[in-house]
Amino acid sequence: METVSDVRTDSASIPAVEKRERAKPASTRIWNFLISVKLAIWIIIVLAVTSILGTVIEQNQPPEKYHQVYEDWAYNLLDRFNLFDMYHSWWFLLLLCLFTINLTCCTIDRLPRVIRTVRKPKSILDEATEKSLSLTERWKSKGDIPRRMEDYKAALAREFAAPKVTEADGVVHLYAEKGVYSRFGAYATHAGIVIVFIGAILGNVFGFKSYVNIPDGKEASHLDARGGKEHIDLPFSVRNNRFWLETYPDGTPKKYASDLSVMENGREVLRKTITVNDPLAYKGVWFYQSSYGQEDGATAQVAVSRQDGTPVRNLSLVPNEPVRIDGYGVVRGVNYEQDFQGKGPALQVVVEKPGRPASDLWILQGRPDLDRVRKDSLVFSFEGLTAKMYTGLQVAKDPGVNVVWLGCLLLTAGMMVSFFVSHTRIWIRLSPGLHGKMEVTAAGSANRNRSAFEKTFASVLAAVRKDTSNTDKENPA
Amino acid sequence: MNTLNVQLFDLTTLLFGGASGTFIAAMYGKKETLARIGTWICVAAAIVSTAALGVRWVESYKMGIGRIPVTNLYESLVFFAWSVNLFYLFVEWKYKDRSFGAFVIPIAFLTMVFAFTNESGIQPLVPALQSYWLHAHVITCFVGYAAFAVSAGVAVMYLLKARQEKAKAKDGIVARFPSSKVLDDLVYRAIIWGFPFLTAGIITGAAWANYAWGTYWSWDPKETWSLIVWLVYAAFLHARITRGWHGRRAAILSIVGFLSTVMCYLGVNLVLSGLHSYGG
Ligand code: HEM
Repeated sequence: METVSDVRTDSASIPAVEKRERAKPASTRIWNFLISVKLAIWIIIVLAVTSILGTVIEQNQPPEKYHQVYEDWAYNLLDRFNLFDMYHSWWFLLLLCLFTINLTCCTIDRLPRVIRTVRKPKSILDEATEKSLSLTERWKSKGDIPRRMEDYKAALAREFAAPKVTEADGVVHLYAEKGVYSRFGAYATHAGIVIVFIGAILGNVFGFKSYVNIPDGKEASHLDARGGKEHIDLPFSVRNNRFWLETYPDGTPKKYASDLSVMENGREVLRKTITVNDPLAYKGVWFYQSSYGQEDGATAQVAVSRQDGTPVRNLSLVPNEPVRIDGYGVVRGVNYEQDFQGKGPALQVVVEKPGRPASDLWILQGRPDLDRVRKDSLVFSFEGLTAKMYTGLQVAKDPGVNVVWLGCLLLTAGMMVSFFVSHTRIWIRLSPGLHGKMEVTAAGSANRNRSAFEKTFASVLAAVRKDTSNTDKENPA
Repeated sequence: MNTLNVQLFDLTTLLFGGASGTFIAAMYGKKETLARIGTWICVAAAIVSTAALGVRWVESYKMGIGRIPVTNLYESLVFFAWSVNLFYLFVEWKYKDRSFGAFVIPIAFLTMVFAFTNESGIQPLVPALQSYWLHAHVITCFVGYAAFAVSAGVAVMYLLKARQEKAKAKDGIVARFPSSKVLDDLVYRAIIWGFPFLTAGIITGAAWANYAWGTYWSWDPKETWSLIVWLVYAAFLHARITRGWHGRRAAILSIVGFLSTVMCYLGVNLVLSGLHSYGG
C-alpha cells in the first residue's frame, strides 16, 4: 500500500485506535461510526440479505392469497414487519436512509483530503517520501543542475507528462503525474448513487403511475391511479382512434398497436401510433401500450332486406337497445349464443310492431336466408358480432427519471475511471554530488495496476536517461 | 432434425467437453502438450460457437422473425458459455498460464449441457421483447456474469493453492497453479471487469422497463436478485480496497457472488416467479 497521501486508510480497523476511540466524546464516536466503511459493508450486506425476503415472499398480493399460503400466526408475523410490501416498509426505507447518510458523511470526511492532495501534490521528493516508495532508481550524471534541469524536464514531458519544477537549496525536484482524476472516480460513483435516489424521490413525490382503458373511438382524460385510491384528471385527453394486433404465422402475438391522438380544447395536437416499447409522450405524461381487451356488450351486425332480396339497411344492435325501422317497428337484440342447438352462432331478436304483441326469433349466422320462412315484410340475417376493442394504457409521469439516468451515467463512468485509470506519479530529484557530478534520484508510484506501472516506470526512465546523456555529448558541460 | 445453428452448438458442447477433459487430464498428468491441445480446442469452440450465433441470427431472418439471438433461455445460456470461453482465452493469453482451463472451461461445458436440455427452436419475439434496450441489456449482463464465473473459478484455485502454500507442500496439481498472489489478483481483476458490465446490464434493463411499462424499477424478483448480486460485489470491492480483504476471504466472497449470480440467472426462473419468465 502506498503511503504518500494515502487517502484510503480506514483508521477504525486498528485496535489501538479503538481504545482511544472510547475516550472520545460521543459526537466524535457517532461521526466515526457514520463515516466508516465497515458500516457501509454491513448496510450493503443487510440490504442484500433482506432483499432476498421480498423475492421469496410474493409482494403486494391481496390478503386472501396470503391466507391460502400462510398459517394465521405466520401471516400476522409477516404482516407486522411489512413483509408483504417490504420494499416500501419503514425499516427498508430507514436502511436506505442510513446508507445515504453513511455515503454522504464518508464523502464529507474524505473528499476534502483528496482535493487537497490533488491540488497540492507532494511535488518534492524528500527522504520520507523516497523511503515510502518501492519504485526507485539512482544514478550519477555530469553537468550543473540548473542547466541540466531543462533537459530532464523536456525528456520527462516527452516520455510521461510535463513536470512541475521545485527548487530548494540547490536541489531541483521534478514531479509529473498522470490520471489524477482517477482519484475522483469513487466519488463520482457515490454521487451517482445519491443522484439516482434523488431522482427516485422526485418521481415518487411529483409523479404518478396510473392506467386507463380506452375503447376504440373514445377519448379519456380521467385516470384511475394504481391501487384505485385516487383519480387523476389530465389537462388534455387522449383518443384511441384504433387498437389492433398482429400475429406471427404461428399465432403468437407480434405487435400490439394503438393509434392515439392527444386532444386539447377539442383539437388534435399530436397523433402517434404507439406499440409496446414505443410510448407516446405529451407534456411530461407518457402513455405505454400495456394491455388490450374486448369491451363488454359487443354489437351484433344484422342485415335487413326485403323478401325479394333487395337490401334495406344494416343494423348494429347493442344488447337490449331498441332500434327503430321506420314503417316497420322496433328491433332489439337480446341474446347471443355461440352455438345455438348445434347450428353455430345465433342471435335472438325481439321485434315489436305497433299494435301487435312482441315476437322473438333466433337468427343464425350460418343461414342468412332462414328468416324468409317467417314471411314477414323484412328479412333479418345475422352477420356476426363485432366486439369493440379497447386499448389498455399504462400512464406515467415521472419528472425524476432523467435525474435517475444522469445518476446512472455518472456512477458507471466513475466506476470505470476508478477501476481502469491509475494515478501514476514520477519524481526526479537532481542534487549536487561529489566531484562536480550530479546525483539523480527517481521514484514512482501508481495507485493501481502496479505491475503495469513498473514497466512504464522502467521504460520512461530508460528513455529519459538516454535522452539526457545524448545531450551530454552534444554540449558537454 | 435440428437446424444448422443447433448442430453447431451441439458441436460446441462436445468441444467444451473435450477441452474440459483435456485440461483436467493435463492437470493430473502434468502434460503441457495436453493443455496446449485444450487451448486449441477452446479456440475451435470459440470459432464454432461464434459461427453458430451468426447462423442462428441469419436463420431467424429467414424465418421472418429477424432478431439477435439472446432472447430466450437457450440463447442466453449459449451466449453465456460463449462469453466465458472468450474471457478464459483472454486470461490465458494475458497470463500465459493454462492451469485456469480446468476450473473455468467446465463451467462453459456444464452451461452448454444444460442448454442442450432446453427448447432450442427460434421463437418469435413477443412485443415486450422487441427493443434495442433488451439486446444491450442481455449482452452486458452476460458478459458480466461470464467475468464473475471466471473470478469464482479462479477463487477456487486460490483456495486450493493457499492451503498448499500454508502446508508448504510442493506436489500434485496445485503446485502447478500460478502463485496465490497472482490468483488473488486475478479474482479481483475479473470482478472489476464484471462489475461495470453488470451495472450497465442493470441500467439498460431499467431503461428497457421504462420504455415498455413506464417504470424503471418495480422490485420484481429478477431485478431484485440482480441488485443483490450487485451489492455482494460492491461489498467485495469495499472490503478489499478499504479494509484489506485479500486472499481467502475475498475468494469466498467471489464464490458467494457467483452463487448469487447463478440464483439471479437461473434460480429466479426455476424457483421464483416474475416478469422475466422467458429466461433473459
Ligand atoms: C452499493 C453502493 C456502492 C457502490 C456501487 C460503490 C462503488 C464504489 C467503487 C466503484 C469504488 C472504487 C473502488 C476501487 O477503486 O476499486 C468505491 C470506493 C469507495 N467507497 Fe464505495 N460504493 C458504494 C457504497 C459505499 C458506501 C455506502 C460508502 C460509505 C462509507 C462507500 C465508501 C467508499 C470508500 C471510502 C471508497 C474508497 C475511496 C477511495 O478510492 O479513496 N461506498 N466505491
